[in-house]
Amino acid sequence: MLIGTLSTHHQATGVPLSWYLALSGAMFLLGLLGVLIRRNPLLLLLAVELMLNASNIALVGFSRYWNVSDGQIFALVVMVVAAAEVVIGLGLIVAVYRQRLALDVDALSRLKG
Amino acid sequence: MGERIFFAIAAFGVIASAVGVITLRNPFRAAVALIVSLLSVALIFLLERAPFVAMIQVIVYAGAVVVLFLFVIAYLGDKPPAVGPDPLARYQVLAWLVIIGLGIEGFLALGNSRLPGIRANPFQVSDIGSPRAIGRAFLDSFVAEFEGTSLVLLVAAIGAVLLARRAVLGERGR
Repeated sequence: MLIGTLSTHHQATGVPLSWYLALSGAMFLLGLLGVLIRRNPLLLLLAVELMLNASNIALVGFSRYWNVSDGQIFALVVMVVAAAEVVIGLGLIVAVYRQRLALDVDALSRLKG
Repeated sequence: MGERIFFAIAAFGVIASAVGVITLRNPFRAAVALIVSLLSVALIFLLERAPFVAMIQVIVYAGAVVVLFLFVIAYLGDKPPAVGPDPLARYQVLAWLVIIGLGIEGFLALGNSRLPGIRANPFQVSDIGSPRAIGRAFLDSFVAEFEGTSLVLLVAAIGAVLLARRAVLGERGR
């Protein structure tokens, strides 16, 4: 690895880490806003995907900053978790729909309701 | 300079389509906006020297996950989801307060960060994002995590099968 020789050497122009972090934060807040204000569980899951992707931008950005692969590994694991979450979430939505209930998370606020 | 222009275009795509995802009320249109957002994020990953993660993003996310969404949206049809007034409407101002507060906090944290070189041009990197580097990292240092992901996927698959089975039984096998 070239870490030692490169640690003092800057590239001519590139995108600083702070830009990636700002983009990641903005995207995360948009996703959080979607989760907080939407009522349709499908749109809620889409907004959660936005939040997961925002975290991946930050993880891969730090991976580039520290010059190690760890952040990218973490991002791949987050993708696996996101895929599992989508499968379960959509399964729940379909199960709710088959019970002829309205697709509105506020109407589903009681367990055993 | 070229990288920064590329970043600006991709970031604009990310933010604009993310706004679309949370403002469009039609789930189908929101899912299409999510595709644009995920592809823009893949561009950002390319800029971050992570070509393998970018490809996985396109294949797994923009491909498989969003197609799953579109299948379910097509299956459920154009059902009018929410009826009646929102019982939680008066709490929506709290949501905006949380978002604005967190935004200010993040802005301050980023502005006051003392991480060396966080606002400067980035360091050059060695080969950290190629399939070879990712595979080596997975098999050398992160074997337990690798196996853990397979366990997560297995549990998710079992859970999905159980959910579907209960739903079918609830309809008496129709």
